[in-house]
Parts: sequence; structure tokens; C-alpha cells
Amino acid sequence: MMQDASSEQTGSEAEPILVAQDIHRSYGTRRALRSLSFSLRPGRVLGFLGPNGAGKTTAIRVLTTILEPTAGRFVVDGVGSEHPDQIRRKIGVLPEGLGFPQHSTGLEYLTYYGQLYGRRSEDARRIGLGLLDDVGLQKRADALVGTYSHGMRQRLGIARSLVNDPRVVFLDEPTLGLDPRGQQELLALVQRIARERNAGVVLSSHLLSEIEGICDDVVIMNQGQIVAKGTVAEVIGRSAEGGAQPNSARVRVAASSVTSAAAILAAMPGIARADPDTVGWLTVEFGDGDGAPIGDMAKNRVLDALIRADIPILGFEVAGGRLQDVFLQLTAESLG
Amino acid sequence: MSADLDPHGGAPADTRSSQPAWWLVFRRELSDLWIGGRALNLLILFSVLMSITAFLLATNNELSLTPPRLVIVTTLEATTSFGLFIGLIIAAESFSGERERATLEPLLLVPASRREIVAGKYLAALSLWPVALLLSVPYVVVLAQGNIALGPAMLWGAVLGTLLIVSFTGLGLLVSMWSNSSRTSLFVSLLVYLLSLLPAQLPGEFEATPIGAIVQATIPLEGVRQFMLKGIVEVRPVEELWVLLYAPLAWALLVLGAVFLYAAPRLGLEGMSGFGRLTTRGVEATR
Repeated sequence: MMQDASSEQTGSEAEPILVAQDIHRSYGTRRALRSLSFSLRPGRVLGFLGPNGAGKTTAIRVLTTILEPTAGRFVVDGVGSEHPDQIRRKIGVLPEGLGFPQHSTGLEYLTYYGQLYGRRSEDARRIGLGLLDDVGLQKRADALVGTYSHGMRQRLGIARSLVNDPRVVFLDEPTLGLDPRGQQELLALVQRIARERNAGVVLSSHLLSEIEGICDDVVIMNQGQIVAKGTVAEVIGRSAEGGAQPNSARVRVAASSVTSAAAILAAMPGIARADPDTVGWLTVEFGDGDGAPIGDMAKNRVLDALIRADIPILGFEVAGGRLQDVFLQLTAESLG
Repeated sequence: MSADLDPHGGAPADTRSSQPAWWLVFRRELSDLWIGGRALNLLILFSVLMSITAFLLATNNELSLTPPRLVIVTTLEATTSFGLFIGLIIAAESFSGERERATLEPLLLVPASRREIVAGKYLAALSLWPVALLLSVPYVVVLAQGNIALGPAMLWGAVLGTLLIVSFTGLGLLVSMWSNSSRTSLFVSLLVYLLSLLPAQLPGEFEATPIGAIVQATIPLEGVRQFMLKGIVEVRPVEELWVLLYAPLAWALLVLGAVFLYAAPRLGLEGMSGFGRLTTRGVEATR
């Protein structure tokens, strides 16, 4: 579980491998980062979320020593930000929109970076081959990177970020531009990096549903500062406690049953309205339309009524119960 | 994908490689230059330009319009000018090109000093000069027609050409470190190059004027040209001519200092911002 950098750690939990302490970063008079504090434990994936311009990339660049913080500091595996060279040995980074040399093979590319991290040629080559195997590119090891697909390049980029066996891996929008299968494979790879290497992974992404699936912790940023942090469940839970109690849900039924399902639900007590939404979906608003909090049993009663009427239920979503809803709620100011 | 994603042991990440970072970057750059075909294309262009120059000089020579010593110096001058052009083009694209291709960030993230990275790229940009010099030998030898000035002229041409290449390639590199766009760095570098060639096109009387003297004393290319003309063509003693080399030497030292002492430690993901702020190690992220 992620905790504030200032909070005490319990003895049974692993020590944080990345600790950011009150980091600020300004560009002239513009404050791009304000009081960024969080910590990450080994073996966990931290989702870094926020709308465009929220400061995610700036934060990642500060934490990866590309940028110097205006104030504050961070510690990676016991090494303070005053020693950027030593930190670079402990981190792996996949920057957003990374380019690749067209005239190198995947193996040459990894061997080169392995050597730049201080490995001998034969070690770098051996490790490069192992990493290509890990990311599913072993058959393309000797093919020119110029012939790789976008998804293959992203996997090669992740392999490159692992050549120094890093303690913390930063992945900035690794799924950008990938097809759904590619996204799924890459996110599974990210999760494996954290679990099997016991590395901390900081994952910046816009794919909220995917982040929700693989991240242990989440930091939501808006306008340069953290607006929510904790485990995914904590963030969603805290948001609900803060007045975002869901008072509506969406039900998906067969298209032919939408009208009858809407009529059944509209007639139920405690349902303000039930309107057909997009094809096959119904939006159900609970209560008397005043937005008052509703209990979980109200949702069960909706499902029960549909089952009793022999209407097949194809999907059910509670508004406000997903990371995406929390994200939209917390970042509404800048999006508006 | 394989079932397991085991941490790879191997040598610990902080173990020093037998090869320093500048050497690795140099080798990689060299391979990109040659395998990528850019070096070959530039050397073909060099050969074409040298052939045209040699043809024009040979034609004049046959008509006895140009003395052989002047032909040798002019050919060496052309070699240096075209060599500078090649070095400048390669250097001007080195960092700005990496920025455009988004390949610079991983290089800046390795635990090597920025000076080492710059040194590797700098040496790679210089690497075409010896090849160009070698390619020019047959042209000079044929045009010299056995003149005794050939040996000393070749030697001085190589030494002074190298001095100029050091400063011009460094200048291109400097512009490239400063710029985010290859087009901009190429444009600025070529502008500097053309301005450096300009004094050679001015009439001979200009050299005798006070401004001409200042130009000779400050523009490195002009200093070398005058040294070669006076030393090889007019056969003046070298002791009289050292003063002409002050400018090329000073420029070489100045550019090397600017590259390695000022610009290299400030090398960042973006050009101008990295130079503008002494406190930052690199780019100003805009996202």
C-alpha cells in the first residue's frame, strides 16, 4: 500500500524504494509541480494519472534526473536526488514517444545500452537476448528495429529500460498507439516486471480502465499537484466518502428487451427514472432524483427485477464506482 | 513471451565496462554514419566537388595560367573547405537530429557523463576528415606535376586542415546542442561556413586594408589560407607566418572550451532551455 512520504512505515512491509518528498518544479513563473510527495514499495505498480498538462511527464522527468527539482528531493533505493548519476544506475525509463535507431537490430540496441550501463560486451549481449525473450521478441532479435511494428518497438523500449536490472521502472504512456491486444500484452508485461523482478513500476497512462486492472497504487494529478493518492480501492472509496456516492447505474440488456426493461425499472419504488441510453444500455437513476445517497441493496433490486422478468442482463456498471469516474470528478476543474 | 521474467544477474549495473562511454558512443555513431549511408553520400559529394575543382585547375594549368605551387595550395584549400562542409553537416545534425528522432532521452539517462557522450559524437563527426584527406591525395599529386612543394604542402594542409576541422566541427556540434531542429542547426552552421569563406572571395587589395588585416587576424579559414599562400606559394620562412595561425588556434581552443566546458555539462533534452538555465540538467518538459 502506498503511503505519504512523511508517514511511518510498518515493520512488516517492505521499505519504499522510491520516496518523493515535497517536490516542486517551476518554469520561470509557471509552477509545473507543486508539493509532489508519495512513496512506492518494491513489487508494486503505481499508476500516474492526470489530464494533459497535469505535470505527469514533468514529474517523471524530475524523478528520472532529466530535470532538477526547484525544491524538494527524492530517494531511489536509498540514493538521494543529489546523486543523479547513481540514481540513473537504479532506474529504467521508457520515455513517451521514444524513437529508435533504424539501422540497428533489436539485439544490437540492447547490447549497446547494456554496455553504456557498464556491462561487458558479452554480458550485455547475453542479457539483451534474455530480455528480448522476456518481451517476446526473441525471434526478431537480429531484425532491424526499422522493421519492427509500433507494439514491438514499445516492447523493445521496455526491454531497454530493464538492461540495468533497475529497482524502479518509469513507463510514460507505454500503451499509446497500441491496438487493444498490444495494450493488454504490454500491461501484462508491466505487471510481471513488478512481480517477478520485485521492482517498483511507475506507469503513466490515459487508459484508466487498464490502469485500474493492473495498478496497486494510484496518484492522480491535476494542475501540477496530487489530488488523490493511495491504493486504487482507497482512492475510489475516499472519493465516494467525499460526496461522490453513486446514485445511478447503467444496465445492459438485449436490444430487443430495452423498452420492457425500462418500463419494469421505471415502475419500481426508489427508481427516479430508467431511460434507454446507447444501444442496449439503460441509465437507471436511484432515489427521488434529489441525488441522495442510496444503498447497495437498491442496485441488487434492479438486477433482481430484471432476472424475475426473464430479461438477460449483459452488463452492469455503477456510476462513480470506477477509477475513471473518480478521475473525471477530481480533474473536472481543468477539463471544464 | 517466455513464462518467467527473471531478473538478469550478469555483472552488477555499477561494474565499469572495459569500454568507456565515449568509445561506445563513438563506435555507435560511426556505425550509424557508415551503415546508414550518410558518410558515403557525403564522401561521394566530396569526390565530385574535388573532381570539378581539379578539372578547372588542370585546364588552367595546361594553359600555364596558374603556377603549380598555387595549384597545389588551391587544391588543398578546396580539400579543407569541402572537408569542413562535411564535418559541419554531420556535427550540426548530431544532437538536434537525436532530439527530432526522440532518441536522445535514453542516452541522457545512462550513467555516463554528458562530456563523454559529446566526445563520442564529436570524434565520430571528425572521422570523415581523414578519409576526405586521403581521397584528395591523388588529385593533389596529379595536379602538382612533381613540384617539390608537394610534400610540405600536403603536410601543412593536413595539419592546418585538421585544426580548422576541429573548430568547425565543434561549432556545428555547439549549434546542434543548442538547437531543437536539424534544419535550424544546419542553416546556422552553413551560414557560419559561408561567412568564413567570404574573405577569400574579396579582391586582393582588400587584404592590405586595415579591415583586411583584422579579417586575417580573426577568421581562422582566412588565416590558414594566407599561411599556405605565403608559406608555399611565396616560399616565405615559417617564422614570419606564425602570427597567421593565432586565429585558427584561438578558435579551436575557444570552440573546444565552449563545447566541453560550457555546453556539454548543460546538454539537455531540449536545446535552448538547457543552455539558458544553469540550474537545470536538461529539458523543460512541457507536459
